[in-house]
Amino acid sequence: MPYKRKKYHRGDTHLKKGWRTKRRTKDLDEIDEDLKGNAEKLLNQKVDFDKPGAAQHYCMHCARYFINEIALHSHFTTKVHKRRLKALELEPYSIEESERAASKGNYIAPQKRKIETVTRETFNEKDAAPKAKMMKIDE
Amino acid sequence: MRIETCYFCSSRIYPGHGIQFVRNDCKIFKFCRSKCHAAFKKKKNPRKVKWTKVYRKTVGKELTVDPSFEFEKRRNIPVKYNRELWSKSVEAMKKVETIRQRRQNLHIMQRLHKGRELEEERDIKEVKRDLSLIRSPAAGLKEKKKQEEAAEEQEQMYVDEESNELEAEEMEAN
Repeated sequence: MPYKRKKYHRGDTHLKKGWRTKRRTKDLDEIDEDLKGNAEKLLNQKVDFDKPGAAQHYCMHCARYFINEIALHSHFTTKVHKRRLKALELEPYSIEESERAASKGNYIAPQKRKIETVTRETFNEKDAAPKAKMMKIDE
Repeated sequence: MRIETCYFCSSRIYPGHGIQFVRNDCKIFKFCRSKCHAAFKKKKNPRKVKWTKVYRKTVGKELTVDPSFEFEKRRNIPVKYNRELWSKSVEAMKKVETIRQRRQNLHIMQRLHKGRELEEERDIKEVKRDLSLIRSPAAGLKEKKKQEEAAEEQEQMYVDEESNELEAEEMEAN
């Protein structure tokens, strides 16, 4: 005979701990905003000895600091990072979307985009390339 | 007074209901009930949870694009109170709501009709494939054989008669 379970929450403390507000990390929509606007600021941070690696090796997509270049680059090859890239491909869910879904305005389906790992080098190269061309033209 | 929308399930939140969470970038997330709040805390994606409005819209179960959705919107423009305007807009709201209901229902019905068509197609295909279960391919073969035999016999008889006649004619000629 089926009966109702008495203890639903026995032994889920480790789960609850993970969901606590103090353990919150950046959400996907925050990271999406970072990728759009704050890339330069986040990749070239000031030396901060309170952060791992003095905040010099930052992964934008996972919002994580690494202790050195090697650790950062080995992180790029991991599954965690690749999964995060995949998750960022679709435009993240936002408050505006929840309102559009409540038929306040037309609902536009989220689009897929191409996301590539952004490091300090690649970002600076992209930035530097047009400048160099400009220099040549000026000369 | 303002009726807010739930971040997770997009339902209405009336004053005095639900809970809100303010993220450290000042964004305010409002939840209609603890079910939605708990789902948010567990980092569930509302697009993948079947009971939310977003899921129903992304999957195409409900009407998504329609001019009737453009009326109710956060506009952030203060409007001076005007009794006539107020009463008129209340009337308009009712009308818009009925029209919207009708269109949404139509969308759902069209969606279901499509399923019916597909079902019929599938049924026809199945019947064609398994026709042997309804009518055995061997059915009527025996009778056909008998008929054929009978026909052959008759033909032979006919041929025999003809040959007999021919013989008789020949005999007469001799």
